[in-house]
Amino acid sequence: MQNSRFSPFVSSKNSISKVMLDVIIALLSLCAFAFYTYRIWFLIVLGSALGGAILTEILFSGIFLKKWKGILDGSAIITVLLLVFTTSPLTPWYVAAFGGSCAVLFGKILWGGVGKNKFNPALVGREFMTVFFPLVMSSGDIWSTKRIRYVYEVEWFNFIPNAHWAEFLNELFFVPTGALGEYSAVCLLLGGIYLIFRRRISWHIPVFLLVSFLSFLWIFEDQNLNYSLGGILLGAIFMATDMPSSPSSPTGKSYYGLMIGLVAGLCIQFGAGFEYMSYSILILNGFSTKINQVFMPRTWGTKIDWPKKTEEVFLLTLSILTVTFAVLSLHYYGYIPYLIYVYIIYIIFKFNFSFSKKLHQPI
Amino acid sequence: MMHIPSLKYKTKKQPIAELKEASVYRIPLQSYRSTLLPLVKIGDQILQYQVLAEDVEHQFAAKIHSPVSGKVIAIDEHYISLENDFQQQKITTEIIEFQQLDLERFVQVLKDFGIAGIGGAEFPTNIKYKVEGSEIKSLLINGIECEPYLTSDYAVMRHETEKLLKTIAVLNQIFQPEEIVIGIEKQHKELKKHFEKSFKNYPNLAIRIHLLTNEYPQGGELQFIKSVTHKEIPKGSIPANFGYLVSNVGTILAIYEALFNGIPTTERVITISGNAVNSIGNYRVKIGTPIRHILEELNIDAEDVDIVLGGPMMGKEVADLDSPIKKGSGGLLLFKKQQKSIENCIECGYCVDVCPQHLMPMQFVKGHQEDQNLLSQFNLDHCIECGACEYICPSNLPLMQSIVLGKVELQKMRYAK
Repeated sequence: MQNSRFSPFVSSKNSISKVMLDVIIALLSLCAFAFYTYRIWFLIVLGSALGGAILTEILFSGIFLKKWKGILDGSAIITVLLLVFTTSPLTPWYVAAFGGSCAVLFGKILWGGVGKNKFNPALVGREFMTVFFPLVMSSGDIWSTKRIRYVYEVEWFNFIPNAHWAEFLNELFFVPTGALGEYSAVCLLLGGIYLIFRRRISWHIPVFLLVSFLSFLWIFEDQNLNYSLGGILLGAIFMATDMPSSPSSPTGKSYYGLMIGLVAGLCIQFGAGFEYMSYSILILNGFSTKINQVFMPRTWGTKIDWPKKTEEVFLLTLSILTVTFAVLSLHYYGYIPYLIYVYIIYIIFKFNFSFSKKLHQPI
Repeated sequence: MMHIPSLKYKTKKQPIAELKEASVYRIPLQSYRSTLLPLVKIGDQILQYQVLAEDVEHQFAAKIHSPVSGKVIAIDEHYISLENDFQQQKITTEIIEFQQLDLERFVQVLKDFGIAGIGGAEFPTNIKYKVEGSEIKSLLINGIECEPYLTSDYAVMRHETEKLLKTIAVLNQIFQPEEIVIGIEKQHKELKKHFEKSFKNYPNLAIRIHLLTNEYPQGGELQFIKSVTHKEIPKGSIPANFGYLVSNVGTILAIYEALFNGIPTTERVITISGNAVNSIGNYRVKIGTPIRHILEELNIDAEDVDIVLGGPMMGKEVADLDSPIKKGSGGLLLFKKQQKSIENCIECGYCVDVCPQHLMPMQFVKGHQEDQNLLSQFNLDHCIECGACEYICPSNLPLMQSIVLGKVELQKMRYAK
């Protein structure tokens, strides 16, 4: 008798490509707004980042690792789109290409391919850009985009008699400042609703993230706190929900969202500047595996050991806060580049001695 | 839990059709977690309904009886092969006075007539019903056939309603539960009216129909109990200790045959369906009927298809066409072969969302692959092997393989300690 297969014998028509396609669809309207505002400038940044990413995929995934299949699954496109959405339309093409390339290489390929990354690849790419092109990335000039703007404001709701309401609605749909993905709060929300409706993300992370971040701002009512609604929404809906780097259980996701909001608030409060969203998400990415363990769903028919659980959550929160303040100190003294250098050495060693041997394993 | 689309809407309209007898039957010796010991020898002449094999040592598998009269032609470790003489010479069985039946006698009847849980696991019903000491609050009749494609339980409820209710009345007299609940999926809600018409003839029964969602695995015993009674009982515990007695409708029908006709479990209703077969429907077949015989009778071409015995979620692939229908086989399904390519896990968490036991199934793939500590850390023991995780997985991860083999590894680890 031949070896029989394992059940089940039917399967849903889900696939990785379908998941990726839905995320791309959710991001399309943001592309439209970025193009609407900066036209050729947006295309240059997007094109060079995409070029860098695809070249890296072909070179490393394809020629070097002989894994051609994964190149077209759409994950690189999402990484590049998200990366571009956090950058300025004035980002030089070579910096964008470098970012796209590093996002794919250090964010995904060296971890062993799609799904195995512990950190959000787009944010990894962004940190590489900041560290290796500090002058370009942290100069104020890069954000003075007024002169290249094609559209300054929209007047879609001016028919409303109440001027305040009209302005509010106009700005809800369109604000031309900030990074390329932040121009339309409404489209960000619609993209999120689409993904929730299609079950590609669950509501837990965005909702808890926004609630905790906004409560933080409300409690520490400080006029000098500088944040953008678009940036927060982009982070909450598209960055923090990156599947491989976020926890899997509903309670884990809720805690994860809460903590990102809190850490992002702390980052703003203690002067992390534009990096508050990247830092908070990347820090929590690092705790994702631990959160999965601590916030494992309650198994059917079993009881939760509350004292033990409380202690675990307390210690976990403590370590997250410790890491946050460590990162903020490094940021204050300008030592973040060394963190990235350590990351590079770590991931290369890890790939060489471990991940490269598990390329064929699906998990 | 989730809904799984299938062809139930087609096969549920079909009546229970009969199938011509086969000339050779292969009686399965493996049942539940035990192997039966043959009580006959090669060359023996046997009568219809005669006991063929029994789990003498452990009593942990139901006895099996001959579906026909004829001769034993072969015995191996898996099957007793019978040649049918088409004479239908029956063994004489005593008439059961079910009016005076007490629990002890009833359990003996269940044992003698080889009654086993027909929903799939073939757990011996006499063991399940041996409830001395525990008071039965609810008698739960499981009509939730959550496995996609299968409608054999539906057909039984639709066409054998009177027999089911007569049996339930006997159970009521023996166990005296506070209430009796028949669980049915919402997609079959027409059965509710159908049952309620017949309830009028049983004014003494505190019986009701409970409609439940069309989700998989709603019919799993633990899930079914929770949906009806809101009581969550842990895997591995005995429902009767909590006051619940759960039986599948097919099992109730088997009890009817034993009590009222003196016939042991030698046949059952199965659904023939799938996307690679045209003659789909519900059929009454004898236990031990070789699959080859069924395919030939129905003119089904089984070239290049996947054949599954049982449901598509928890059934077994048929590698040998001479293997037979068992007591727990609810269906014979034929599917077009499909290629599944395994991709990397993207930790989408869909498996976590659908797991009825609230586990994190992807951890078992990792556990089986490299770190066995994960298997116990993430409670693999609590998995009911329903297959929902692998069904939903966009990367086609070998979840069930990891789970089944992982459980073996877990046993080994414990044994080593």
